[in-house]
Amino acid sequence: MASQIHVNLSPAELAYLHASLSLTPPIRPDGRSPDQYRPLSAETGILPGTNGSARICFADGTEAIVGVKAEVEKTGRRWDDDTIFLEGGGDDEEGGDKEKGSTQQGGNKEWVELTVEIPGQRDDDSATVFLAQMLSEALLADGGFVERLKINRGWHWKLYLDILLISPPLSYPLPLLSLTTHLALLSTRLPRLKSEGDEDPFFDDDWAAAPYLYPRDKKARPPVTLLVMAVGNNIIFDPAKEELAVADVVLAVSVADVADRKGKGVEDEDMDVDGRKLKLLSIRTVDPPSRLTPPGVPNASNTAYGHASAGATQQKMPEARAVESEAVEGVWKAPRGGAKLAVMGALVQKVLQKGGVADEVLDALEAVDLS
Amino acid sequence: MPITIHPPKPPRPLISDNLPSDDSDSDSDTSIGGVDLGLPPKKRLTQFTSSPYTGIVTPGEIITPDPQWMRGHGTYIPPQTTDITSSLAGTITRTNKLISVRPLRARYTPEVGDLVVGRIVEVQAKRWRVDVGSTQLASLPLSAINLPGGILRKRTETDELQIRTFFAEGDLLVAEVQQLFQDGGAVLHTRSLKYGKLRNGAFVAVSGMGGGGGVVRSRRQAWTMEGANGAGQIDVCLGVNGYVWISKHVETPAELEGGGKTAAGITNMEENVSATMYSSQNDKVDTETMREIARLRGVITALVENGLRVDEEMLNRGYHEAVEMAMVDWNGPDDIYLGGERGEMLAAALTGK
Amino acid sequence: MTDRRRINGPAGTTIPPIFEDTSNKEDANSVKGRTRAPDAVRKMFLRTGVTPTASGSAYLEYESSAKSGVSGIKLSCTVHGPRSLPRSSPFSPHIVLSTHVKYAPFATKQRRGYLRDPSERDLGTHLETALRGAIIADRWPKSGVDIIISVIEGDQDRASSGPQSDETWDMMNVLSGCITVASAALADAGIDCVDTVAGGVAALVQGPSEDTPPSVVVDPIPSEHERILGACCIAYLPTRDEVTNLWFKGDLPASEMDLYTKLVENGILASASASKVLVDCLKDALA
Repeated sequence: MASQIHVNLSPAELAYLHASLSLTPPIRPDGRSPDQYRPLSAETGILPGTNGSARICFADGTEAIVGVKAEVEKTGRRWDDDTIFLEGGGDDEEGGDKEKGSTQQGGNKEWVELTVEIPGQRDDDSATVFLAQMLSEALLADGGFVERLKINRGWHWKLYLDILLISPPLSYPLPLLSLTTHLALLSTRLPRLKSEGDEDPFFDDDWAAAPYLYPRDKKARPPVTLLVMAVGNNIIFDPAKEELAVADVVLAVSVADVADRKGKGVEDEDMDVDGRKLKLLSIRTVDPPSRLTPPGVPNASNTAYGHASAGATQQKMPEARAVESEAVEGVWKAPRGGAKLAVMGALVQKVLQKGGVADEVLDALEAVDLS
Repeated sequence: MPITIHPPKPPRPLISDNLPSDDSDSDSDTSIGGVDLGLPPKKRLTQFTSSPYTGIVTPGEIITPDPQWMRGHGTYIPPQTTDITSSLAGTITRTNKLISVRPLRARYTPEVGDLVVGRIVEVQAKRWRVDVGSTQLASLPLSAINLPGGILRKRTETDELQIRTFFAEGDLLVAEVQQLFQDGGAVLHTRSLKYGKLRNGAFVAVSGMGGGGGVVRSRRQAWTMEGANGAGQIDVCLGVNGYVWISKHVETPAELEGGGKTAAGITNMEENVSATMYSSQNDKVDTETMREIARLRGVITALVENGLRVDEEMLNRGYHEAVEMAMVDWNGPDDIYLGGERGEMLAAALTGK
Repeated sequence: MTDRRRINGPAGTTIPPIFEDTSNKEDANSVKGRTRAPDAVRKMFLRTGVTPTASGSAYLEYESSAKSGVSGIKLSCTVHGPRSLPRSSPFSPHIVLSTHVKYAPFATKQRRGYLRDPSERDLGTHLETALRGAIIADRWPKSGVDIIISVIEGDQDRASSGPQSDETWDMMNVLSGCITVASAALADAGIDCVDTVAGGVAALVQGPSEDTPPSVVVDPIPSEHERILGACCIAYLPTRDEVTNLWFKGDLPASEMDLYTKLVENGILASASASKVLVDCLKDALA
């Protein structure tokens, strides 16, 4: 929840920022263009004891590290599993039908455990829980991820994703954590299976032979969550703390590259070979900290204003009352109400458009060297 | 390119210039395996007697045993000796007979007379607690501010009850350090026309005082400069504590009346200025001025990220350099982004000159 | 080490016997699927002022499905406030909102514990986002308001012998109920709001076969549908025509954005229906 980040700005600064971001084109405090991300440095494979790891540092000093560890776990057989008493018949029914496959894996959400740790906050703090739920939701939304964790009918991998924010949260940590998780998952390798069929699994000891969880030659990639905000008619990506403090609406949008789907030929024609087919996994509105900001007092109702002429204060009184609910230019007022549907639709559209920010971010992450 | 991902910077090679250089080179070349612990001999700078030695010291290093020197900040004298020993890691500075050690990076320590930009964090009974980036919160008593209505207005109980109408939590103000408490906390005052609540602009925090980077104490901390590309005049206020305020210059009514001359009687000036002193309503700032303010902010950030000092001269040069860079850049003069590589280019251009 | 003195049971784990669902077998075929129109929400019962000791309170019930064993939602909400913040807390120029959503241990098919688990905290965060837009916060400086919601029945298919499908869809239904009931309780407590908030859920469900395009239904019950591809829960302000909270989860290709738009519009339709009930209920209470 973004509002937890205590933003300490004066109403004058907030009004100035809001005016600056409402211009066309918006002038951001650090001069970036609306869809420009802050430069960041990324590396993977930093933790040799994990199956996959990544570390990302933003230019403002915030840093996150993600480690992925996997453990083999026995798949509990469900009491309603029709295939229990069939020797090998369960596999025939699976075929290419995704439907049956997902019902076989009942509690498959439990195969992924994601924890987020933010320094200075308890792990059951609502903001931390919101972040953890958002990130795990994106991962589990399509059900395809847990398919990769299946070893055979009786065994599966349980994946532990531990996300650590190293620096104290200066700005809303969601984009940082999401990019780091994406990279860590990209670099995750699971030992190569040497057993066959349904026997107890045993693996190749050679780590170099371990395949990637997301094979490089296939198109599927883990999801990434982008934070996007709107001020007036302007859509701004990768907002900094000051920009969030004046946002009208903030959305966290999770997208992923769709895996090769067999059968759906219609859409393939539209798509060019190198293009990405994105799919939308989840959208959540984030409570902007702008709602918790102190309001400015317009000069008309400011008792510390214009005491020079005592007579004028009498005249100002009726005006003062009228001005209370209206917006006065130059005076900051925390936003009330919600966002128009059209604005939210435009935000989502901007994220998903071909060649837009989501594509660029995924391309840039793709280019990171995996060790 | 919306997003640029760099590989992490490789660690900087260790520069060992404190070691007596002759032995270490030959040793490291010929040694096969193992680590050459070329420890320097215990430093006793016996050559310090007359000529000053400016260099980097660490806590515990003896600077000089000569009792003629007086010790300043960052040093101590162990009992039963007269050796001035450093207690910080930093550079030695000498002013006349005073030796002090200035740390490379430290929190701001207030001195009497400093101009600081601070943010109100707490409102207490008859005073405010202000964050000035120091180890302690500074305090601003209610008696130390200009009450609207003239300098001779008596402070009443209503003022104490309405204390939030003057400064509320989160407000930015510029003030001067009037005195220091024993524990190092500062007491501020805004009893001058040039101090007070800040508006019509943007705030930047520059961290790290002392050493090469950060805001340095100089002759002028606040000045007005001309913005380029059609912007108006821009006020820059560099607080010594590293907090900077950049805003649009607003003509005070006195200046307007006097046609730019700062005449007018004292009482008139008080009344004219105090009308807007505690206002949190911004005046209209036009687009060009906003752009130039953002550019200035970028220049300050670039100077700090590249370890250059931030004062009036560097800022003026940096700003003109940035405007020129934007002119020749293919994005046009509207491009004000100065992070990352462009900031490094700017710093290189400034140090090269 | 086998025990030879006794007759032992099988060595490994056993699976308990599965009995056929005779009661539901005949009904399942006849009442399978949704009987309501795609844009019809379930009937709601809403009443305020049920807890006299609280500043404001409300109780909401959604009707159960026609199929036996599928329960509805029962929610109880109490609002305490606005009350002054403790002395130690810093000055706050606006009201401090705290939400607390808790499933009763018996509310769902799988028993829940007494402490809030992450999913309940998540619901609390969503609720807070939804309500914060509606409350006029700066009229109440230095005050706090607590909103506590107990989920007495959590909208699940108890009799179904099928595996527990993703309970997110159930949570979305519960969230939309929470939003509506909290809004009623806030109005009962006399806290200034710019508008009433109501929650609604719309889902994208798979058609009868793989090839038919997915359809959008409002107020879904997961057991009535073959497969839910995506769903969204919306908190909507009807008079201002604004959305304070949007939670979408699913799997939607980017090329089918018009489906997303349709989904959101239907969510707003559901919210609008709920808000009508809400407004009627508040007016009845005043009358």
